Amino acid sequence: MSLVMDMNNVFDCKILIVDDEPQLQTMVSEILRREGFTKLITAADCHEAREMFNLEKPDGVILDVCLPDGDGFFLMREFRAVSAVPVLFLSARDEDENRLLGLGLGADDYITKPFLPRELILRLRAVLSRAYFPLVLKQNVKPVFCLGEIEIDLNSGSVTTKKGQLTLTAKEYALLEKLYENRGNIVTGDSLCRAAWGDDLYGYENTLMVHIRRLREKIETQPSAPRYLLTIRGLGYKLTGVDSK
Amino acid sequence: MKSMMKILSRYVLSAAGIALILLVINFVVLAVWTIQTGQISQKNYSVEQLADGLTKSNGVYSLSSSAADEIAKRYQWAMLLDNDGNVVWSKDLRGDVPLNYSVSDVASFTRWYLNDYPVYAWQRPDGLFVLGGAKGSVWKYNIEVPQKVMNNTLVWIPAILILNGVAAILLALLFGMRLFHSLKPLAKGIEDMAGNRSVELATQGILGDLAAGINKTSAQLVKQEAVLNQRDNARTAWIAGVSHDIRTPLSLVMGYASQLEEDPELSQFHREQAGIILRQSERIKTLVSDLNLASKLEYDMQPLRLNRLALAPLLRAVVADFLNSGLTDNYTVELTISKDAQNSLVTGDEELLKRAVANLIGNSIRHNPNGCVINVNLEKSLGNCLLYVSDNGGGFAQEVLERLNEPQSHIDLQNHGLGLMIVRQIVKAHGGTTEFHNLPGGGCRVILCFPICATNVSC
Repeated sequence: MSLVMDMNNVFDCKILIVDDEPQLQTMVSEILRREGFTKLITAADCHEAREMFNLEKPDGVILDVCLPDGDGFFLMREFRAVSAVPVLFLSARDEDENRLLGLGLGADDYITKPFLPRELILRLRAVLSRAYFPLVLKQNVKPVFCLGEIEIDLNSGSVTTKKGQLTLTAKEYALLEKLYENRGNIVTGDSLCRAAWGDDLYGYENTLMVHIRRLREKIETQPSAPRYLLTIRGLGYKLTGVDSK
Repeated sequence: MKSMMKILSRYVLSAAGIALILLVINFVVLAVWTIQTGQISQKNYSVEQLADGLTKSNGVYSLSSSAADEIAKRYQWAMLLDNDGNVVWSKDLRGDVPLNYSVSDVASFTRWYLNDYPVYAWQRPDGLFVLGGAKGSVWKYNIEVPQKVMNNTLVWIPAILILNGVAAILLALLFGMRLFHSLKPLAKGIEDMAGNRSVELATQGILGDLAAGINKTSAQLVKQEAVLNQRDNARTAWIAGVSHDIRTPLSLVMGYASQLEEDPELSQFHREQAGIILRQSERIKTLVSDLNLASKLEYDMQPLRLNRLALAPLLRAVVADFLNSGLTDNYTVELTISKDAQNSLVTGDEELLKRAVANLIGNSIRHNPNGCVINVNLEKSLGNCLLYVSDNGGGFAQEVLERLNEPQSHIDLQNHGLGLMIVRQIVKAHGGTTEFHNLPGGGCRVILCFPICATNVSC
C-alpha cells in the first residue's frame, strides 16, 4: 500500500492482465490504454502471472478464472497471501458465478464474458477506487443541483428558493439523495424505503407518501402538480428535470 | 409392508375358510347318509314287524307270507325260543344252530354272533324271536357311551368345531408367517427398486428364482440410470463447454464492435453497422446463456439460491428496470398488485424469478415490434400467488402455444421458444405451474402460479 502515496488517480495503477487468449489480452490492453491506463503487464498462464506478480508488484489484476495451468481462484488466494491487491475476475462460465459469490468478493468484482469495454472500465475503476481511494470518495463533495429555480445542496441538505432557505429532514434527505442518484429513472418504492428505513415498501406505503408530500412542498413550486418529483403509479417515483451544477 | 400384511391376512383367512368349508361338507355328507339309511330301513320291514308276522293260533305257529318273503330275501333263518331257551318254532334253521340255549348263550348272541351268524332278536310275550343273517354279512360292534358324555354332546360338538377352526387358523398363520418371511425381503427389494436404490437379495430358498430376477432387474435399472445420468451430464457439460468456448471470441467481437461504434473517425454509416454487429452479438450472448440455463434447469443442475422473498418488490424492480432501459413510447408496461398480494412471500431464487418475469415482458416486446400494452398482475388465491403477464399484441402461434403447454416437451430451439421454455422451467423448479393462453380479443396471457410460503413458518 506504500504505492498509494505515488498515485494520484486510478490511471497510475499498474495493471496485470492474465488471460490465455492472446487476442483478448491485446484487446483488454487496448481498452485500458485508450481509457488512460499506462502501466500494463500481461501474462498468459498461472506460472507467468506468478512471476509477473512478484516482479512487477501490480496494483490491480484482471484475472481469467479458467487458465490452462490452473484456476484463477487459487491464484488469487496466492496473491492474497502476500498482498491485498484488488482482483477483477473475467469469467466465461455461468457456473463460476456461484463460486465467485461464494468468495464474498470484498474489494474484488467479476465480469462475465462477453463484456462491453465500458463495463470493464467501470468495474475496474470501481475496484481500484475501493482499494486505493476510499477516503477520497468519502470526502467527495456532494452534488448541488437545481430543479427549475430551486437549488438543492446535498452537502448541507438545504433547499434554496426565492423565498428563502429550508432544511431537509434526515428521511427527506435520504429519499432525495436516492432519487438524485437515479435521476431520470424510476426508483421503486422498495428502493426508497430501503434507503430511508432499511425495509421494503410493505407497511411503509403511507409513511412514504407523507414524506414524499413534505419533500414536494420543499422542492416543487406547485406541490399539488409536481413537475420534478413524479409519481409512477404502481412502481415508485422519478426525479426529472435535474439541472446539475 | 402394508400390502404384505394384507396378503398374510388374506392367506390366513382363506385357509381358515377352506377348513370350515371342508368341515361343513363332511357334516352335510354325514347328514345325507344318515337320512338315507334311515329311509332305507323305513322302507323295509323291521325285526319287530317280522316278529309280529309270526302268529300262534290253536297252538300252531304260522308266519305271514309277506314276512316269510322278507325273511327269505334278507335273512337266512328265523326261530322262536320259549322262555326256557328251547326252539319252539323255526324256519330254514341251519344245522349248526343249536336248538337249546342257556341264559348266557342268549346274552352272548344278542350281543355278538350266534355261531358266526349275525342275529337280531325281538322279545315277544311267548318268547324271543331270533332272525339269523348270512355269515360275514354284518359287522357288529356294541357302542356304549356314558350318559354324561351323551348329555354333553351339544357342548362337545361345537367345541370340537371351534377347536378345528382354531387349529386351521393357527396352521394357516404358521405357514402364512413362513411365506411372509420369505416374501418380505422380496417386497423390500421391489420397494427399494421403486425408490431407485440398488438391490442385492439372497437367492436361496423357494423364492430364490424370484429374488434373482429382482436382483437382475435392479442391476439393469442401476445401469440404465447411470447411463442416463451420464448422458444428461455429458449433454449439460457439452453445452456449458460450447457456451464457454463461444464467449471468448464473442468478447473480441463485442469489444471491437463497441470500439468501432464509438470511433469518431468513422462515418455515421459504418458506426451504425458496428452497432448492428454489437446488438446481434449481444443476442448471441443472451442465447448462449439461455441455452446453458435451460439445459441446467432441464437436468436439475442449476443450483437454486432459495430465499423467502416477496414477489411485489421483485415485480416493481423488474418493471422499473424495463421502463428505465429506454423503452420506446409505443410500449406500455402496467403493474397491478392486489392488496392482499402485497406481502405474499414465496420461496425462490430472486435472480431466476426476475429472469422469468423479464423473459415474459421481453418476449411481448420482441414479438410485437409495433408496440403493445403489457399488463403485469399479481394476485393471491388459496395459498398461491398468481402472476399474470399479458399483452394486447399478436399472441402466440398455434404450434408454439401447443408446444409451450405440453409438459413433456424438452428443450426445443424452433421459433425462439427458448426464453419461454426457461420461464416454464424456472417456475417448475419453484414448485409452480405455468399456463400459456391466447386472449380472444388478440394478445396473449401467461399465468404463473407459485405456492405461497406461510408468513410465520420458515421454509
